Amino acid sequence: MTASEVGNAPLTGPMRAPLVRLLRSELRWVLRRPRTQIALGLLALVPVLIGIGIVATDGPGGSGLLTQVAGNGLVLPIAALSISLALLLPLAVTMAAADALAGESAHGTLRGLLLAPVSRTRVVLVKAVGVLAVAVAAVAAVTVLGIVTGLVLVGSSGTAHGMLTLSGTEIGPGSALLRVSLAAAWTVGQLAAVGAVALAVSSATEHPLVVLAAVLGGLIVFGVLSTIPALDWLQPMLLTTGWFAITDVLRDPLPLDGLASSSLRAGCYLLIALVLTLARTATREA
Amino acid sequence: MRAGSVTPTATATPSGRGAPAIRVQGLRKVFGHTVAVSSVDLDVPTGAVLGVLGPNGSGKTTMIRMLLALSRPTAGTVELLGKKVPAAAREVLPHVGALVEGPGFHPFLSGRENLRRCAAAEPLLSTQAIPDAVERALQRVDLAEAAGRRYRAYSLGMKQRLGLAAVLLVPRRLVVLDEPTNGLDPAGTREVRRIIAELHAGGATVLVSSHLLTEVEATCTHVAVLDHGSLIAAGPLTALLDGEAPALDVRTPDSTVAVQALRAAGIGAVTCPDGVRVELTGTDPPTVVALLVGAGVAVHEVRRWRTGLDELFAQLTEGNGS
Repeated sequence: MTASEVGNAPLTGPMRAPLVRLLRSELRWVLRRPRTQIALGLLALVPVLIGIGIVATDGPGGSGLLTQVAGNGLVLPIAALSISLALLLPLAVTMAAADALAGESAHGTLRGLLLAPVSRTRVVLVKAVGVLAVAVAAVAAVTVLGIVTGLVLVGSSGTAHGMLTLSGTEIGPGSALLRVSLAAAWTVGQLAAVGAVALAVSSATEHPLVVLAAVLGGLIVFGVLSTIPALDWLQPMLLTTGWFAITDVLRDPLPLDGLASSSLRAGCYLLIALVLTLARTATREA
Repeated sequence: MRAGSVTPTATATPSGRGAPAIRVQGLRKVFGHTVAVSSVDLDVPTGAVLGVLGPNGSGKTTMIRMLLALSRPTAGTVELLGKKVPAAAREVLPHVGALVEGPGFHPFLSGRENLRRCAAAEPLLSTQAIPDAVERALQRVDLAEAAGRRYRAYSLGMKQRLGLAAVLLVPRRLVVLDEPTNGLDPAGTREVRRIIAELHAGGATVLVSSHLLTEVEATCTHVAVLDHGSLIAAGPLTALLDGEAPALDVRTPDSTVAVQALRAAGIGAVTCPDGVRVELTGTDPPTVVALLVGAGVAVHEVRRWRTGLDELFAQLTEGNGS
């Protein structure tokens, strides 16, 4: 190339890389990362372990939801989701969010993105999609392995692959799967809120560990707060308050108010956290 | 180029080539009570290779980060390729390649995958052109063979070269390299110099920072010296290097004999700790060496001694203990 070619032609105006390409690159990066794969693999073990536990104790030996699983295989994915949502699923999502901004910043790779340039708003958008992808993959891992383990290991005595609800009625396999899907979708929504909060913390630090500590510590504090009677008024504001609503999908007829209000709460967390992330990233020194 | 105390008259304006590639006015950055960069004015003509020289902690990286919109100036303006930054960053930055504060890559990905990830974000690359651009960049920095290995397993030099490869993914108009030879062995250093020379030959403007004068001397056409955040000298390299009377340092154990022989031939010389310093007014190095050898003086080493930049920089680095 000659000097005039490189040096003096007028600039061609603002340019950016196609969004689809950025997203694909991000998803590749997120899902190929060894720690993501290990986390997904371990999460997939949760329903399997529950299933083995139930078969080994041979009957209703546990407490609560688990007693329902025996001989009622399609309850297993829901029980597994409910148990994982307490800590394991948030952990997986928070890990992804911690790597998304704080981790990239620590590796110096966030700088590369901004220099390309990718606008700061787009960086947040792409990262949010990456975290959401991990949430979806994690929930899918638990749900699919839950269904498989439920049907293969636990079986469905007398319900013809359907589901025996908490209300004592039986529902067919089709609507049972629909309810499992509803539980999975609801769980993704709750995890999206956790992920967004984690992303907000991630945008304010370059230490991934800080993100992990802040979000998991926060969840534990929420758990403690919700057990203090004097702080009842705080309940509607805590994200974790609505997390028992997942068992609603096992009732007949299906009550939607608990699922709806917890999803609304998650939506509020999501929105506020994304706005904070955008604001923080816009002024971040990279 | 605006200049400070050393060469107040050295103004290297772009000779009829339009706007300078970099124009910095009143640039200032304050962290808390620390002034990292203080009122820097600098014009870099298009096509120049500017060496930003300064001891560690002199504000080089902070200035570069502000140039590239990674950090917001406390005061002052930056123009790259004739456009204000950060306002026109989306227009300018696609044409700017930069390696700042060391290479940044993901340890679990291979060199090639890391570069693909960089390429995906480059606005100037079409999606179809990415694989080719990545392979070409890898070859240009001699990493094609190691491209399949994980970044984690790379040596420091390979990491640095991968950083250069990311800069070379797209033909750039402006390339900013922050301490590009850090951690490189002599062969790696030569590679970096070769790449800078190629970029220069291709018409790109290059800004390269270093705390080593030799580095800047070897590659640059222009130089700017930073100390404690202030620009204390700037101008074309030759003007700064040979601003004053040139001299020759001769390392020899026979300094007394040498001085006598030189003075007898009418050449000014004084003894210094390792030998003699010879004034080069009215003579040249070959004559001096021939004369000394003829006088039976054991000459161990002959080095051009430069006033101006060299001495200035020595004072700077010694003063800062770095």
